[in-house]
Amino acid sequence: VFERRLYHHVDWGLLTAIATLCAIGLAQIYSATGGWTNTVETQVYGIVLGLLALVVCLSVDYRSLADKSHLIYIAVVALLVYVLFFGAVRGGSRRWIDLGVFNIQPSEFVKAALALVLAKFFGEGRRGALTRVDFIVAGALTAVPLLIIAQQPDLGTSATLVPVAVAVVYLAGMPMRLLGVLTVVGLLAAPVLWQFGLEDYQRERIATFLDPEQDARGAGYQQIQARITVGSGGLWGKGFTEGTQGQLRFLPVAHNDFIFSVLAEEHGFAGVIVTLGLYLFVILRSLEAVRLAKDRLGSYLVLGVLASFTFQVIYNITMSAGLAPVKGLTLPLMSYGGSSMIATLAGFGLILNVRMRRFTN
Amino acid sequence: MALTEDRRRNTVRLMALQVGIVVTFAALAISFWFLQIIQHARYQEMAENNHQRTLALRAPRGVLFDRNGKVLVENRHSFNISIVREHTRDLDRTVRLLAEVAGLDAADVRHIVDRHRSEPIYQPIVIIEDASLAQVAAIMARRLDFELPDVVVEQVPTRQYPTDALAAHVFGYVGEASEAQIGNGIRTGAIIGQSGIERIYNDLLMGQDGARRVVVNSVGREIRTEAEVPPTEGRRVQLTIDYDLQKAAEDGFRHAGFNGSAVVLDPRSGEVLSLVSLPGYDPNDFAAGIDSATWASLNTDRLKPLQNRAIQGRYSPGSTFKLVVATAALEEGIVTPDFRVNCGGGASFFGRYFLCHLKGGHGAVDMRHAIEKSCNVYFYTLGNMLGVDRIHQWAEKLGLAGKTGIDLPNEQESLVPSTEWKMRRFGEKWYAGETISVSIGQGQVSVTPVSLAVMMATIANGGTRVTPHMIRAVDEGGGWKMATPPAAADQVAFRPQTLSALHDGLWMVVNAAGTGRRARIPGRDVAGKTGTAQVISNQGRQAARGSGLDLRDHGWFVFFAPKENPEIAGVVFGEHNEHGYLGAPIAKHVIETYFAKKEGRPLPGLAPKPAPAPPEADPDTAPVERAPAVAEASRPAADTGTN
Repeated sequence: VFERRLYHHVDWGLLTAIATLCAIGLAQIYSATGGWTNTVETQVYGIVLGLLALVVCLSVDYRSLADKSHLIYIAVVALLVYVLFFGAVRGGSRRWIDLGVFNIQPSEFVKAALALVLAKFFGEGRRGALTRVDFIVAGALTAVPLLIIAQQPDLGTSATLVPVAVAVVYLAGMPMRLLGVLTVVGLLAAPVLWQFGLEDYQRERIATFLDPEQDARGAGYQQIQARITVGSGGLWGKGFTEGTQGQLRFLPVAHNDFIFSVLAEEHGFAGVIVTLGLYLFVILRSLEAVRLAKDRLGSYLVLGVLASFTFQVIYNITMSAGLAPVKGLTLPLMSYGGSSMIATLAGFGLILNVRMRRFTN
Repeated sequence: MALTEDRRRNTVRLMALQVGIVVTFAALAISFWFLQIIQHARYQEMAENNHQRTLALRAPRGVLFDRNGKVLVENRHSFNISIVREHTRDLDRTVRLLAEVAGLDAADVRHIVDRHRSEPIYQPIVIIEDASLAQVAAIMARRLDFELPDVVVEQVPTRQYPTDALAAHVFGYVGEASEAQIGNGIRTGAIIGQSGIERIYNDLLMGQDGARRVVVNSVGREIRTEAEVPPTEGRRVQLTIDYDLQKAAEDGFRHAGFNGSAVVLDPRSGEVLSLVSLPGYDPNDFAAGIDSATWASLNTDRLKPLQNRAIQGRYSPGSTFKLVVATAALEEGIVTPDFRVNCGGGASFFGRYFLCHLKGGHGAVDMRHAIEKSCNVYFYTLGNMLGVDRIHQWAEKLGLAGKTGIDLPNEQESLVPSTEWKMRRFGEKWYAGETISVSIGQGQVSVTPVSLAVMMATIANGGTRVTPHMIRAVDEGGGWKMATPPAAADQVAFRPQTLSALHDGLWMVVNAAGTGRRARIPGRDVAGKTGTAQVISNQGRQAARGSGLDLRDHGWFVFFAPKENPEIAGVVFGEHNEHGYLGAPIAKHVIETYFAKKEGRPLPGLAPKPAPAPPEADPDTAPVERAPAVAEASRPAADTGTN
């Protein structure tokens, strides 16, 4: 399948940036967990498996994958349903399938599957303006996994599916008027959602975000600590493994949700700029792949995969600085988490795939 | 067509996305700039407060030594168990669990926490001072289980006083600084001297607390020490107290079976060799924070164990005051030692008849025999010749008026009346008849035991009114440095014949036919004088019968030894012991101990308690006035609270 000439079209720059971010993440996990721990080791396995997944996703022509997208989608949704009933419970959520040696988190793979199925749906055999039916189908394809994941409950991950759908529909030609209407409806729905759609603890979290001091011991604690962690880093940081906030566990799950805070503490504003720059490069470079893609299927696929990635990156970094409510959303490529790493790298496999095959027929 | 249009639309929309993302990232970069550069100092400080704690390291107080270098008061290590609320997740749970583990009442623990509510939350609240090892072990086990992460156990130096409450009133006690004491280098929670030597030399003894800056993690566990300023131990202080004499005096009281006070001085320098006030208290109870029950019982005890009788108890001096009258008469040149008075058992002055204690009278007595026999008529006569103001003047020269200046806090003034005093106090003229009572130490004369000790030292050394003091040397860090003794308060060279008369008379009290025979030590030439302090007048005694108050008289024994070149002088005050001569064996035991020690012989023991002897005739306790003294009966005593 893999033709030799394609090798020259692999975006090595993007790949290098991705690998660098993985390495930075690994180093920060090492620092945050206090040395060469099981956590670091697991992450290394995650990266290795992720790179394998990347190569696999790169090798198979995305068009062949798109042809099987409905099957992939159904398989992943089936896994989600399985998890809902038989998954392993940790920290009050049922998210994992316990495979003995390691656990996998199917919800991480939904993003790529959804991007694939939506790309296929909008990208093939269709010309002209979008119909209302198109929207309903796209909405349904998104809503099914979203609602299942929300039941786990994992509102963070389910929320990352929305950008996938919005981005694909956006590029597929959603009228701007509709976008405006949706925005207005969203704004109007917010108070209703606040009242009826959220659990008490969620309302509390948002209230705490607006005024963290009111609950400095509870939910506001993490947010205050995140700001202290980032702010105390200064220009050059406290030095690798020298961060007090992360090392002394004032910041919880420092190797996971707050990995970027640890980075900001130990490497300062300088480290933040370098890392932000790498992420920006990865995103813009991928957007270029959208533009360069040979067909609409390719464009939509890349954008769909990129959308959840971008959303997660921006939200997590904002949260890391204590500027957004604390949500269990990891930072792709850097945070600890095998499933997330594998799914993310697989997604980039698809992006590279599209770009690489821009000249093939 | 559609395709190119499609492409163009896509290009525009992608461009919009690109711009949106770049703007978002720029906003993020600016946010980080704001947090990390603009507000860096603020967050830096917060991060440091997060993980750094400054713990006070309590300085051990200076060790107290006796005059021979024996350690009297030192420090031991004790454990304090505290709650640091900063690390508390659920205060109620912590209080409940701590009370349960340490075997305390949860309400009490709660009460302590509430009292310190307003202090900063990183400041430990001490719940248990001087915790038992069992408590410490139980707490540590729970701490390791992360059950009580907010409870800390710290080792602190704590004062260790001698057992048996030895010299309790000399040392005093320590306690947490009160609101009013804070400032001037004394911080909240500091342990400072609250009484006795601990208080008056607090600046020397306190030392300088150190500090340790530690790094703690988010549950308050100490990770490492960042910096440490070790505490500076307080100055070592050597007292003039002699442990063996102190013990001898206290043993003497215990053996005799009454409370009271004793002050023993070196008459040559004013150094206090022993200072006793009984009943005492155990200063160790205060060392680690006194519990309210003990404090309440000490405060409400009728016997007033917290009162230092040696410097705060004021009593009528009784016959010991005759020495003042004798000194005054001789030094003023009114009489010579050979001056004789014929005692017929009483004499009339200003229309009233004043009794001597011996019914038949002493016959013709000179000064020496008048002292020996404690003849009232002789001293009525001298007092009448002197007048109250000259008595007052000489009482002051002997140290009996005002304070002696001893280096202990809250000394009370002794009082010997004068015409000026009476005018100032009552706005009334002095009646010459009142002088008659004063000349045998009754009426409005009230003195502290320490002032009588100074009087005896002054008589012993020939007129130098020494200032009693207790500090001998201080180690400022570079070895012992002798303390500068306070200057003598007054210096009068008594005439030789005054001295020989007084010394002979006092010697005869102990060694001839006087009342002090129980203090006699062959070859030591002990000189002394007994006295009785009436607790209440005879009329008052009738009125107060059945009130449950102890109205028995107090007894005095003042002494010095040896008669030639005296080296030791002092007073024994027996509370409600009725007879001055009962204090003499205590003085004897102290003097024997002194000489045995000086000559390197084994220290004397106390003979087993003898069967109660039939009471001897005590000249000091006989009534002295036949007719009710109108002027006095109508007047409340100047100091009612000193009995």
